[in-house]
Formats: sequence, C-alpha cells, structure tokens
Amino acid sequence: MLQPPHVLDKGVCTRVSSAALCDDLVMRPAATAITAVQRRVEDVVLAAVEDAIDRAIANGLVERIVDRLVAEGIVERAVDRVFDERRVIDEVVKRLIESEGLWVLVDEIAQSPAVTDAIGHQSIGFADQVAGQVRERSRRADARLERVARRALRRPV
Amino acid sequence: MSYEGLVTRSIAFAVDAAVINLVAITVGAIVALAVSVLSVPDWADTALLAVGGAAYLIWTIAYWATFWSTTGQTPGDRLMQIRVCRADDWGQLSVARSVFRLAALTLAAIPLFAGFLPILFDDRRRGLHDMLAGTVVVASASPAHTPAPA
Repeated sequence: MLQPPHVLDKGVCTRVSSAALCDDLVMRPAATAITAVQRRVEDVVLAAVEDAIDRAIANGLVERIVDRLVAEGIVERAVDRVFDERRVIDEVVKRLIESEGLWVLVDEIAQSPAVTDAIGHQSIGFADQVAGQVRERSRRADARLERVARRALRRPV
Repeated sequence: MSYEGLVTRSIAFAVDAAVINLVAITVGAIVALAVSVLSVPDWADTALLAVGGAAYLIWTIAYWATFWSTTGQTPGDRLMQIRVCRADDWGQLSVARSVFRLAALTLAAIPLFAGFLPILFDDRRRGLHDMLAGTVVVASASPAHTPAPA
C-alpha cells in the first residue's frame, strides 16, 4: 500500500530524486551522443567502403576478381547448383508464366520489326529457293531440248 | 551474254498469263456480280461483253508493253531472272516496239506456235517475234545498255 509523501523515508526520496536527475543529466545526453556517434561512424564507414569499391573498379580489381571466379569455375559451379536445385527453376518458371509482364513482353517481341522481318525473310528465302530450283531445271531443260533439236536437224550441237 | 531458251521463256510466259487471267477473272466476277443485281436490257448484255473483251485486250497489251518498256521484265521474267532488250545495243524497248513485239508474238503463235521454233536453233535464241521486233531475251544479270559485241 502506498504511503503519503510525508511518511516516506528520507533516503528513499533522495534516491528517487537523484535517479531522475541522473536520467535527465547523464543518460539522455549520453544516448543522444551515442546515436550521433553511431551515425557519424556509419557515414564514415559507408563513404570509405564506397571509396574502396570505386577504387577497386577503377584499378581493375573487380574485373580481376570476376575473371578469377570465372576461371576457377566458381561461377559455373554456382550456376550449376542453381540449376541442379530443381525447386528454384520450377519456382522461377512458375512465377514467369504467372506474370502478366512476360506475356506483354512476348507480344512486344512478336510484333517487333526484327521478328516480323525475320519471318518475312524466311518466307522470301523459301520462295527464292523454289524459284532458284525452277530456274536451274528450266535452263538444263533448255540445253537438253536444243541438243535434241539440233541433232534432229543434223546441225552442230 | 547469256541468251535464254524456250523452256525458261515458256515458264515466264505461263506465269504472266496466269497473272493476267487471274486479275481479269477477278475483275470480271466483280463486274458480273454488280450487273446481276441491276436490271439490264438484253441488248446491253452484248454491249457489256464487247466492252469486257476490249478491256481484256487493252489490259493484256498494257501489261506486256508497260513491263517491257519500263524494266524489261514482266513478273514472270523477274521470277525466271530474264530480261527483254534490244538486240543491237541491249537497251530498253520503247512502248511502240513493245506493242509491236506483242503483235509479232501473237503472229508467231498462230501457226501452231511454229514461230517459236527458231529459238531452238538460232545462235541468239531468237523467235520469230524477236527477229521481227529486233529484240533478244537475256539473263537479267546481264549489264544493261552495254554495247553489244560486233
């Protein structure tokens, strides 16, 4: 049960007031200072990391690392692992098929000038091939017919 | 210079004849359909037939004359990669010479196509119509407007 203030022990009052004072004067500023220092440290570290990455790209370190990863077959093994994990591929395929974006992309590609041109060229190529064969055979037939006609009229072939 | 023979030229001619007739039949069918819904007197039928025949004749002449005098190639010639040109300088035919060649071609066909037989024996593979019109039929890859050898 709570006691009225005048009945409280003097030592208790002293402890309560000094705790509040401690909180106001020490703990809060300390927490604020720590947060500020943390932010500053983060900024400095991020800037340093960013700078290090820039330098690594600039002096070709990243490229060398990538080359080494490729040369040592690490990339290949990683890709193999992804493909071996059937579940991952199934999930990717499932999500792709379900996505509307894929079909929009397929429509766009199907209607693109490059694809329509390729189909057109294929048709023209086929027609050309047939016409080429007809031309070749007709010219052979011409030569044969003329040989026969010249022989029939005893003219030099 | 490669002169073209009877078989190649016959195939080109057949393709052109098919194009001419296909267009004529399509147009004729459309006109006949339009006329069938109108009440046309009997005498008009005869007149329409005459007009149709004249249109067919004009269309046929225009087809050959236009292609020979512009590119030297009809669609059938293009397919077979052959070209009609003047025999003396391998130049392009004029409209008048094209029409004359067509008339000569008809003439060559009258005696059971005997007018085309010289193509088999002539050194430049010319038919009667080529001789009359002063033309030759060459491979379309042949250079145009190049002076002919003496």
